[in-house]
Amino acid sequence: MSTKGASLKGLLLVVLLVSHMLLTKEGVTSLPICPNGSVNCQLSLEELFDRAVKLSHYIHFLSSEMFNEFDERYAQGRGFIAKAVNSCHTASLTTPEDKEQAQQIHHEDLLNLILGVLRSWNDPLVHLASEVQRIKEAPETILWKAVEIEEQNKRLLEGMEKIVGRVHSGEVGNDIYTPWDGLPSLQLADEDSRLFAFYNLLHCLRRDSHKIDNYLKVLKCRLIHDNNC
Amino acid sequence: DLLQWPQISKCRSPEMETFSCYWTAGNFYNLTAPRIIQLLYKKSNEEDWKECPDYITSGQNSCYFNASYTSVWTPYCVQLASKNDVYDKKCFSVDEIVLPDPPVHLNWTLLNTSQTGIHGDIQVRWDPPPTADVRKGWITLEYELQYKEVNETKWKELKPRLSTMVPLYSLKTARDYEIRIRSRQRTSEKFGEFSEILYVSFSQIGIGCDHCTEEVEFPWFLVVVFGVCGLAVTVISIMLSKQPRLKMLIFPPVPVPKIKGIDPDLLKKGKLDEVNSILACHDSYKTQLYNDDLWVEFIELDIEDPDEKNRASDTDRLLSEDNLKSHGCLGVKDDDSGRASCCEPDIPETDFSASDTCDATSDSDQFKKATEKEEDLLCLDRQDNDKSLPSLANTDPQHQHRNTQSDNSYPWAPFADSIESPHPSVHTQISNQNSLTSTDFYAQVSDITPAGRVVLSPGQKSKLGRAQREGCTEQNFTMDNTYFCEADVKKCIAATSHEENEPHVQEQSYNEDGYFTTESLTTTVANFGASTAEPPSSEMPVADYTSIHIVHSPQGLVLNATALPVPDKEFNVSCGYVSTDQLNKIMP
Repeated sequence: MSTKGASLKGLLLVVLLVSHMLLTKEGVTSLPICPNGSVNCQLSLEELFDRAVKLSHYIHFLSSEMFNEFDERYAQGRGFIAKAVNSCHTASLTTPEDKEQAQQIHHEDLLNLILGVLRSWNDPLVHLASEVQRIKEAPETILWKAVEIEEQNKRLLEGMEKIVGRVHSGEVGNDIYTPWDGLPSLQLADEDSRLFAFYNLLHCLRRDSHKIDNYLKVLKCRLIHDNNC
Repeated sequence: DLLQWPQISKCRSPEMETFSCYWTAGNFYNLTAPRIIQLLYKKSNEEDWKECPDYITSGQNSCYFNASYTSVWTPYCVQLASKNDVYDKKCFSVDEIVLPDPPVHLNWTLLNTSQTGIHGDIQVRWDPPPTADVRKGWITLEYELQYKEVNETKWKELKPRLSTMVPLYSLKTARDYEIRIRSRQRTSEKFGEFSEILYVSFSQIGIGCDHCTEEVEFPWFLVVVFGVCGLAVTVISIMLSKQPRLKMLIFPPVPVPKIKGIDPDLLKKGKLDEVNSILACHDSYKTQLYNDDLWVEFIELDIEDPDEKNRASDTDRLLSEDNLKSHGCLGVKDDDSGRASCCEPDIPETDFSASDTCDATSDSDQFKKATEKEEDLLCLDRQDNDKSLPSLANTDPQHQHRNTQSDNSYPWAPFADSIESPHPSVHTQISNQNSLTSTDFYAQVSDITPAGRVVLSPGQKSKLGRAQREGCTEQNFTMDNTYFCEADVKKCIAATSHEENEPHVQEQSYNEDGYFTTESLTTTVANFGASTAEPPSSEMPVADYTSIHIVHSPQGLVLNATALPVPDKEFNVSCGYVSTDQLNKIMP
């Protein structure tokens, strides 16, 4: 048995090393592997939250950078800043706006809200990744980030559904969702209008990713560390 | 003065729960009637501008929005206005203007010190700003630590990190340090204000190194010392190594003068028989020199190269008054390492290159005449031939002496005699000889007659041939360790003799192929009776070596044929010269 255990350990080590290589992306450190669909593999809630926080932080980081680059590249001469006071498509979702509200909301509701926001961004992110490539002379970094954000958002969504499944004993609330109808604005013929649409979208993305990151950290500190991070 | 409008300088939220806006009043008040400045704000989803709820808490010219007025991800717009005028406007959202307060409660602890006690590691700890609610995870902060020595001006920065402790390694215990920390929200770019400075002093906790006040500079001295030692060891090892090739490569041997085919040791040790045999065997030496073509070449070369005539010959240089130092055997060719010792009779070319002042035209005749005759000692023959020369009389007995005694016929130059016999002509001739002596100073003994006479190879002829008559007469004879090849003197003599129409002597001169005794030279020189009457205070060139058997008072030397008491290393074996001084040393 000892040899069998040793060989298993060796195999696990190899698997872990390989997975580390595969999983190591910019801003995301290696996380323990749990093969999809594996029943025996049970990550603890702490690990799930760790992963989720890391992903949300990474997404917000990418969004922030993407917005800054876009702002620098396209928005400076166009006075977009003045028009930045707009409403995002997720504004209809009532999310906590300050610390007190975040403290008071129930964690399950908050989790559902997070899920709702993530789901609402699924569609826009897909179109963002495809439409940003049509921008004239779009920098490679913006293109790459758009694709990356879309991908990471999917993963975060999966992780959140897992967490919700763990935390929420009952049914998972699926009804929080805001549709996005901004696609036509991304395809406007007028370049200024089109760029302004992108600018707004990226601005909203940065804000919402920051919200999600904050909510997850609050939840993590509350649920895992008992308000003592 | 420029009119400065009131401006909103910044809006800042330290913890993402409240925020404040600050403005500058400008010089507006001074210039116009005082007006009240208001700050109005509006949330994005509102229509009306509201006035600032708190002008006081954040200080003068500020507006403070407490938690109830703050919505984090809601866009705000604020504007600075008075009754009718809007001075400034700004739109933002609170999550964008987060600038945390500085960390607090900085302290440090010693981790360890180095063995020498010169360096130490410390751990710095601090607490997050009290306003930021990190514990509930509402805000996540990053910290940047900066430190420097007390008397430095530039701060060293560490990377921003999430933890509230950081080690600092390798601090000098003899110095004091200053540390400061600032924080920022994790995804922002801007940092908040710096904390208070933390002073680190090792001496306070008794760690300080009293005797290591000096920094360990790069040990240049050690590097130099070890480098020199290593180099010396390498050099010595190479020198002592048995690998000849390596030695040759790095320390190429300094060539000693030599005559081709003759071992210098033979000359030193006085094995004249062997040397004679060697020389006799080398017929090639003779044949080369008898080659008329060579002389023609010489002649041609002389003609073709007018510069050569301008160049001072070696003899000239030797004899010139400016150049009292003897150059030893002024090699015909300086670059020929094997023959740095002048006069190698087997290389006429070298002679040729060196000699430049001698007139070629006069040489040819002399050479031709010289080739046919065979002579042992120039002096003897000359004596026989030049009875008219009174000066020769002095030398006669000595010549006889020499002939009888020197079987081996390395005739000593009767230096004393030559010196003693004051022949102005000699002097001048010899001095003239300087110009002539561009050729080597050696004559090779090609054979020894049974009678004990030396037959000299005609190597010197070429040189002699080129001795310029004018050079002979013009040059002054320099004393004191000047060397001449007898050949050169001979040339001079020959030149003068040519002038004086005494071919006989010339023949003699050239016949021996370069070996003359000074005596013979003296005689020959004296024969021609040079114009100037300067006393020949200079020494005569010594052609070859012979031991001095008897010193015949001032009149001359009797040379010992057998032994060759060459004073150790006093003679330049290769050259075959004995300077006056050397000879003086020999003589009692």
